Amino acid sequence: MVDFDVIVVGAGRAGTAAAYKLAEHGIDVALVERAKEAGMKNVTGGVLYGDVLSELVPEFPDQAPLGRHVVEHNVRILNEGTSIGISYRDPAILDEPNYTIQVGRFDQWFVKKAEEKGAVFIPETTVRDVSQRGEEVLVETDRTGGDLTCKAVVGADGVNTTVGRVAGIRETVRNENVGQSVKHVIDLDKSTINERFNLEPGEGAAYAFEGFPEGVPGLGYFLYTFESSIAVGAVASMSSLEKYGKQGYSGRGTPLYDLLDRFKELKAVKPLVEGGSTTEYQGILVPKYKYSNLPQRYDDRISLVGDAAGLTLNKGFTFRGLDFGIKSGMCAAEAAIGSDQNQDWDSFGQRYDKLLNNSYVMTEMKQHRGIPSVVENEKFFDEYPAVAREVLEHTFSTSGDASGLTWRQALRSLRKRDIKLRGVLADGWKAVRSF
Amino acid sequence: MSVEKDLETVEWDVGEEGHITVDNSECVDCEEKPCLHLCPAQCFDYQEEREGGIYFSYEHCIECGSCMVFCANDPDRGAVSWTKPDGGKGVEYDLG
Ligand SMILES: Cc1cc2nc3c(=O)[nH]c(=O)nc-3n(C[C@H](O)[C@H](O)[C@H](O)COP(=O)(O)OP(=O)(O)OC[C@H]3O[C@@H](n4cnc5c(N)ncnc54)[C@H](O)[C@@H]3O)c2cc1C
Ligand code: SF4
Ligand code: SF4
Repeated sequence: MVDFDVIVVGAGRAGTAAAYKLAEHGIDVALVERAKEAGMKNVTGGVLYGDVLSELVPEFPDQAPLGRHVVEHNVRILNEGTSIGISYRDPAILDEPNYTIQVGRFDQWFVKKAEEKGAVFIPETTVRDVSQRGEEVLVETDRTGGDLTCKAVVGADGVNTTVGRVAGIRETVRNENVGQSVKHVIDLDKSTINERFNLEPGEGAAYAFEGFPEGVPGLGYFLYTFESSIAVGAVASMSSLEKYGKQGYSGRGTPLYDLLDRFKELKAVKPLVEGGSTTEYQGILVPKYKYSNLPQRYDDRISLVGDAAGLTLNKGFTFRGLDFGIKSGMCAAEAAIGSDQNQDWDSFGQRYDKLLNNSYVMTEMKQHRGIPSVVENEKFFDEYPAVAREVLEHTFSTSGDASGLTWRQALRSLRKRDIKLRGVLADGWKAVRSF
Repeated sequence: MSVEKDLETVEWDVGEEGHITVDNSECVDCEEKPCLHLCPAQCFDYQEEREGGIYFSYEHCIECGSCMVFCANDPDRGAVSWTKPDGGKGVEYDLG
């Protein structure tokens, strides 16, 4: 006799979505979490694109601890003190259930919902080993007598997945497949946020920034508004951070937290972040896989979901992982429900992967498979913004030698940098196609 | 805002034993020493007089996993042995 039908390792949104759905279908499920309380170890930005959660928990907008309803997206490209940006508001996005969330709070609520459905939550327990033994899977934990057996395991234990590594499913994370992020939560009062960001009460804005410092690819910043705080953070691909460090910017290299501090001092940024006090500092890794090099994500009776499976999509101006985690957790639950019905647990992993492949998660990752090569293209962070800056200066300035036609200035700027128009068109076409 | 000040905003329930260990005799051959600028919690410190140069303290680790990637998993390095703290121990965020 096994202890549970399914054991889910990790109570982030991915694992909790799986546990919720399994319990809802009467499957005996345990949700094992290393933190004292759900959410205590977890970090996000972040905007929850909530359509998929509505599918699972329709009442979530009324019940969950949410930040603000996102009504505006902003993208800013920075270059030598200049800021070039797009601001997007549209009645069409007002109906979408997209909210900023602080996962520390959100995950506690979500786990309670899963418990209400019948999932057994086991906190303060770190899973150390997972091994399949014939008809059962043994889940070893760091608690004396805390080992558990089950028919199948869902590894929802985040970017540094233990399950994926000890079960030998996927290779360990490499430099090029991961990014580092650091983040500040800054307290600001409600009315300041509403005035500063031009928002009505309850409305939220999301900002993405690229291009600082010039010439470092794969480095971006974000700012999200909450009820009475903002989150400001930096995300950098580990390889560019290491490379950039090696160039010896300040002796032994520049830590990401120093870059974030300098970013917050920029003229284009300071008015947005000044005032409040930092209440929490956080750091974590983010998966940066391409569709073409996604890691393995299943074995017979084990599936990996969310960040453990590398399921994130970085478009430069939006970053998706929360909804992909929830959806992949739902796919794992569906696979287990199928295995239970057919009493065929050995094909659990395969069943999961098929469901995932047919879901919007993989469709979107596949459709946008060209993006990583665009957002890692150094020209987009250095030379192209510089050209844009010169062209805009030429357009808006009435002084000095800002005369003549704008397209002539564009060609002049390109020639000065030895950039061929054909190359620009090719890069532009590649970008348009991937987005 | 310096990172020392940032780290004052973070809480831990520190475990008795280190969940991450560093064999600093390996560090002698590591020229770049990326740990010094890539650990977001400044757990790595450099002291000239020490063999390998590196002091490591796990108490203020925020469990990001960076040193697993740039040291433990790097075939040219490998001073770091990386695990997660025991259940209930380690960093405790409020907001996330
Ligand atoms: C700075 C930043 C900004 C982001 N912004 C956005 C955004 O705006 N929108 C968006 O959609 N996504 C965003 N993301 C991505 C998103 O946060 C992640 O993709 C998502 O949180 C992954 O969820 P998860 O449930 O897979 O993993 P996690 O949230 O990491 O959960 C893993 C859980 O497993 C537990 N665990 C780990 N190991 C063990 C073990 N051995 N035993 C027991 N328990 C264990 C952990 O304690 C944790 O509770 C952002 C990420 C970062 C870092
Ligand atoms: S990166 Fe690893 S091997 Fe190199 S100095 Fe730091 S701890 Fe030692
Ligand atoms: S896991 Fe992160 S915070 Fe902890 S020592 Fe390693 S790099 Fe530093």
